[in-house]
Amino acid sequence: MERLELKHIFSWLHDLLVSTGLGEPWLSVVTYLMLGAMMFGALSVIALFLVWWERKISAHVQQRFGPMRNGWHGWYQTIMDAIKLLQKEDVRVTNRDKFVFFWAPVICFVAAFLAYIVIPFGDGLIVADFNIGILYIMAVTTFTIISLLMAGWGSNNKYALLGGMRSAAQMVSYEIPMVASILVVIVYSGSLSMVDIVESQSGMIFNWFIFKLPFGPIAFITYIIAATAEANRVPFDLPEAEHELVAGFNIEYSGMKFAMFFLAEFVNMFTVSAIAVTLFFGGWNGWLLPSWLWFLGKTLLVVLLLMLFRWSYPRLRVDQLMEFAWKFLVPLTFANLLVGAAFKYLGWYW
Amino acid sequence: MGVLKSFVELIRGLGIAGKHLGRHAITIQYPEEKWTMPEKSRGIVVLLSDKETGELNCTACQLCMRACPTAAIDIDAPRGEDKKRYLARFEVDHMLCCFCGLCVEACNFCAIEMSTEYEFSTLNKSDLIWDKDKLQEMGRNVDYVDTRKKKEPKTPPEADAATKPAEAKPDVAPASTGDVNPETKAAEAKDATSTDTPSGDTGKEEDK
Repeated sequence: MERLELKHIFSWLHDLLVSTGLGEPWLSVVTYLMLGAMMFGALSVIALFLVWWERKISAHVQQRFGPMRNGWHGWYQTIMDAIKLLQKEDVRVTNRDKFVFFWAPVICFVAAFLAYIVIPFGDGLIVADFNIGILYIMAVTTFTIISLLMAGWGSNNKYALLGGMRSAAQMVSYEIPMVASILVVIVYSGSLSMVDIVESQSGMIFNWFIFKLPFGPIAFITYIIAATAEANRVPFDLPEAEHELVAGFNIEYSGMKFAMFFLAEFVNMFTVSAIAVTLFFGGWNGWLLPSWLWFLGKTLLVVLLLMLFRWSYPRLRVDQLMEFAWKFLVPLTFANLLVGAAFKYLGWYW
Repeated sequence: MGVLKSFVELIRGLGIAGKHLGRHAITIQYPEEKWTMPEKSRGIVVLLSDKETGELNCTACQLCMRACPTAAIDIDAPRGEDKKRYLARFEVDHMLCCFCGLCVEACNFCAIEMSTEYEFSTLNKSDLIWDKDKLQEMGRNVDYVDTRKKKEPKTPPEADAATKPAEAKPDVAPASTGDVNPETKAAEAKDATSTDTPSGDTGKEEDK
């Protein structure tokens, strides 16, 4: 079987457009628009699936059924929900900051999707293999903080503002242990490129970074904690803590704008899981099955872990959150980085 | 070590959540599948009919109406030609009914019962006032133990047998000594239909 590669799809699309006799400036524009639509479609499907998955997991942890009406075990429930949100009235607050209020969900949405340019979904299934891949992801996902702050500020609502401020404090704090955990991997792979990181873990299962004792598992645990905070999920869901802030930063948003925040949240969750798989679980590496299936399977397992967090742990207080990040996670990750670097220097690894 | 211990506890918590994930749901898909309600559950009030004749057990004594704390039961029981009360109207207003079961306690004739049905929502309020026929219809599939005291037929069984030789059976006579053979009971019930109703001294003063 020929290897499924995105660039084959790109060139096929390009040839198709050339055959229609399109001129050069428009050719590129149309090609890129179509590619963008492709990625957007794929990620929307993933986000919609994750919403359904989340509801099912939540239900089964609580021994309920969850959505059961639409299709087999309610599989198109979220599609119906999205259609409903599209039809809803776009409620606008009178005293909002018009510009900021409008652009906040857009930035949140775009920032969530930008990371997928460098995520390798399989062997060759990557849009662009930057040599700064992981750094790029860290950079663009930071836009989420800005969008949440914008949403909080633009809504002119005390709960929204509190949620926005909390999210800014939280995400800036947890960015540091997250990056420090990732650095351990980069010390070993010797590259920031996502493809290189995956290929450095190829071969047998013990080449996966999580099995590099003792710093591998610690790096994974600190990463997954920081990632949970980055994705604003329980137990770090202070920006949208329902019981304290009603809905947090997105309280004044309705209809499609809310849907954008909602989908971006799930895309973010998939992003952090995909990064975890790429860095610690050998990315697309696997046996027999096609590489993209391995990647998706592993990612969904990490997503399942994040969802189980939600139903296991209570939410932290704001001061506990900050204390945990600065007094525990940051020293731990840096010590771990130091140990990892020392092991690399001494050659005590396989 | 405190950190390590709490970390182990966190993992255990995850394990418990994961264990619940594998369990079967304890809720049910309501309109498709329903609970079998407990036998003694107090659902909607229904009127019971005689098992053999299919007629209402009600004797129009109006005790249930008096027992009802919310006045949900409304009965019209005028006297007929033979000076006996008959049930002209029997309405239960399910907007008022509080499902206390006092009417069932009050009834001496196994005529009223709380069924296990609980689905009677309508789009129209007036549909919640159920009349005699509907209550009887609802009560048809309610099983109950008949504890009514059967009156002996006024005519002795021998005389009855003599007048109606077609229905006469050799074991009609022992029936009066407590035999509860269903066939004899049926025969008794048929004989007793004319005399079964009580004398109706509960409402003499209203009788005009």
